[in-house]
Amino acid sequence: MRWQLYKKDPRFVFLSLIFLAVLLPWLPLGASTNYILRIMTTAVLYMILALGLNIVPGFTGLLDLGYVGFYGIGAYTSGLLSIHYDLSLWVILPLAALNGALWGTLLGAPTLRLTGDYFAIVTFGFSELVVLVLRNELWLTRGPMGLPGIPPPSIFGHPLTRDWEFFYLVLLLLMIVLLVVTRLQDSRLGRAWFAIREDEIAAQCCGVNLIRYKVTAFAISASIGAMGGAFYAKWFQFIHPDMFKFWESILILCLIVFGGMGSIAGTMLGALILIPLSEVLRAVLPQGLFSARYLIYGLVLVLMMRWRPEGLVPFERAQAKKAKLLQERLTVSGDGE
Amino acid sequence: MDTILKVMRLSKSFGGLTALREITLEAKQGQIVGIIGPNGAGKTTLFNCLTSLYYPTGGQIEFQERPIVQEVSETKKRLIKRCAMLFFVLGLIWVPLFWSVFVPHTFFKVEVVLLGIFILSIRLLLVRGLVRFQIWAWGLMFVFLISDLWFASWWLTHLLSLGPMIGTGIPLYYFTVPWGIIAGPFSIYLMLQLFLRKVRQLYGFRLGPDAICRLGMARTFQNIRLFFNLSVLDNVRIGFHVQMRSGVLGILLKTRSQRDEEGLTTKEALKYLRFVGLDGRAFDLAGALAYGEQRRLEIARALASNPQLLLLDEPAAGMNAQESSELIRLIFKIREKGITVLIIEHDMKVMMNLADNIYVLDYGMLIADGTPDEIKTNPKVIKAYLGGGTAHAET
Repeated sequence: MRWQLYKKDPRFVFLSLIFLAVLLPWLPLGASTNYILRIMTTAVLYMILALGLNIVPGFTGLLDLGYVGFYGIGAYTSGLLSIHYDLSLWVILPLAALNGALWGTLLGAPTLRLTGDYFAIVTFGFSELVVLVLRNELWLTRGPMGLPGIPPPSIFGHPLTRDWEFFYLVLLLLMIVLLVVTRLQDSRLGRAWFAIREDEIAAQCCGVNLIRYKVTAFAISASIGAMGGAFYAKWFQFIHPDMFKFWESILILCLIVFGGMGSIAGTMLGALILIPLSEVLRAVLPQGLFSARYLIYGLVLVLMMRWRPEGLVPFERAQAKKAKLLQERLTVSGDGE
Repeated sequence: MDTILKVMRLSKSFGGLTALREITLEAKQGQIVGIIGPNGAGKTTLFNCLTSLYYPTGGQIEFQERPIVQEVSETKKRLIKRCAMLFFVLGLIWVPLFWSVFVPHTFFKVEVVLLGIFILSIRLLLVRGLVRFQIWAWGLMFVFLISDLWFASWWLTHLLSLGPMIGTGIPLYYFTVPWGIIAGPFSIYLMLQLFLRKVRQLYGFRLGPDAICRLGMARTFQNIRLFFNLSVLDNVRIGFHVQMRSGVLGILLKTRSQRDEEGLTTKEALKYLRFVGLDGRAFDLAGALAYGEQRRLEIARALASNPQLLLLDEPAAGMNAQESSELIRLIFKIREKGITVLIIEHDMKVMMNLADNIYVLDYGMLIADGTPDEIKTNPKVIKAYLGGGTAHAET
């Protein structure tokens, strides 16, 4: 009885998938193991980023084109802190997340009064601003020279260098982010966000303070993005302003749209399909056509919009499934009906 | 009986169109008050003013003897406007001064003066952009507060020679120091004012729709506004928002109190769904409900915020006779809970059955009020409904 219930719980599904992922480094893949692990690390990193971004356009219904700004802020926070102060990863991650939240609040508080497209334009401006600052504040970020030589993270004095170690680290981060996001969406806060997404006026009349909840969504989303950036800096050990260009925001947005705005499973699925796709194309396409892979991305999205505009896992289906699960849980515990 | 809602000389105009003209009405605790009138009479505008979706042009609203919209007199409006102009002129002087200290020898440069005008216009537009007049004052204060604090803090560092001494060659201290000294305490004074409720009320600080809901006024909408992609249960649980307390930290740590609150809310929400007769559909999506069910769900959602006053905007629209008689029973049940109901309705039969007191609106004006029997025989009402030839030509 209980088992039947757990089997359908998305959290259980996620956990078992992550467990399967843990086995990945031990599969007999021969020489390409490290290559595949690196691709999967990228994919999981983008899953984290997409889950973070999903909070703003997916849950709250605001178009955010400046997400990569927070990613960059997190990466530089992590890079600078570890170069200058040599802090441990477990100090850097929360600090980067806090810094992201701070900038998210600072950007969100005045601009979230704007509606729709205007807000999207402001966020776009913000991401450009971040890149400009990173590029020009030489004393802090070394500008276009980039920030090389970021020491790798170490756990209990053991520095992480191998690919599977980073893969496990990013899986751990994914688990934390998943925990945060699933808890949020099933709470008072998440429901307030959904209400804003569905109908702002009705949400207001139900007592939801629009500005406060939008800023909260923005700050949490920014802090997850910054955490992703912090991991990225530690993993890549080199960061450069060009890595945080506008295109990245669009890419992450594509992942969400592809997977289904507002559904956690869809967002993860989108990242899992689209990010390795680039590498698959690298193998399939001839050398000269490699830069045409963005064209194929575009094609995939256009086809998606034609045949399944609401994404792989549509929001309302995710909601319906959640409701059914709750019903079953309530009948098992004897509370419902 | 206590008066729960009191509306005095409420007016609302959109540009040249007057949607409401000097409406005065009141509702007593536990009453069902009806509002009727032909299409376009301003009934929904009245509801929007009550729930603060619109800001009235004039008049006063009191809810449970607490003013939620306060009348600001013409003299005060004029005073605020004059203060704004004064600030504008002072700012015109201030901007070049500021620039000349930061970047020497630019005092009489055309660009600087133009820039000053530009910055000030933006500042003023920003303030004006908060369109509704009464928060004009609040916005003005806020904008000037920030720039003045900035300026004052700059001067403080300058006086203590903490910053770069760019302006040393120019004897501008005689202007900037006094202004810095004035601006500093003035900013603090403004800041104190912003946080004092009494003062905010004096300037007509506006309560948002969410604050109105928190005070205990919930509503439904004429064109159904449910959260269609969420489950029926979630719709009602959103209604519980104002009664819940858990914050971000509690949710992330899943504290005991948060879990208890969640469980209690779910149970209570199911209870409300049973109350409106939707308990069988609790786990379906709201968009999948039939029209009449959606109307009842909206009522359940409004009830979930535990209101003292419930505003129903045409709840029986599009319902058949059986559904509307069920609705009447439901509204009586709501009244038995001690909730006052204010109801807009076109269906006269429903209205005559329900209401203790009816107000009739026509062309934004109150033309009659009284018990259903009085209204039925009132010649003005009959004229408004059946058409009275040139009745409106004079107005």
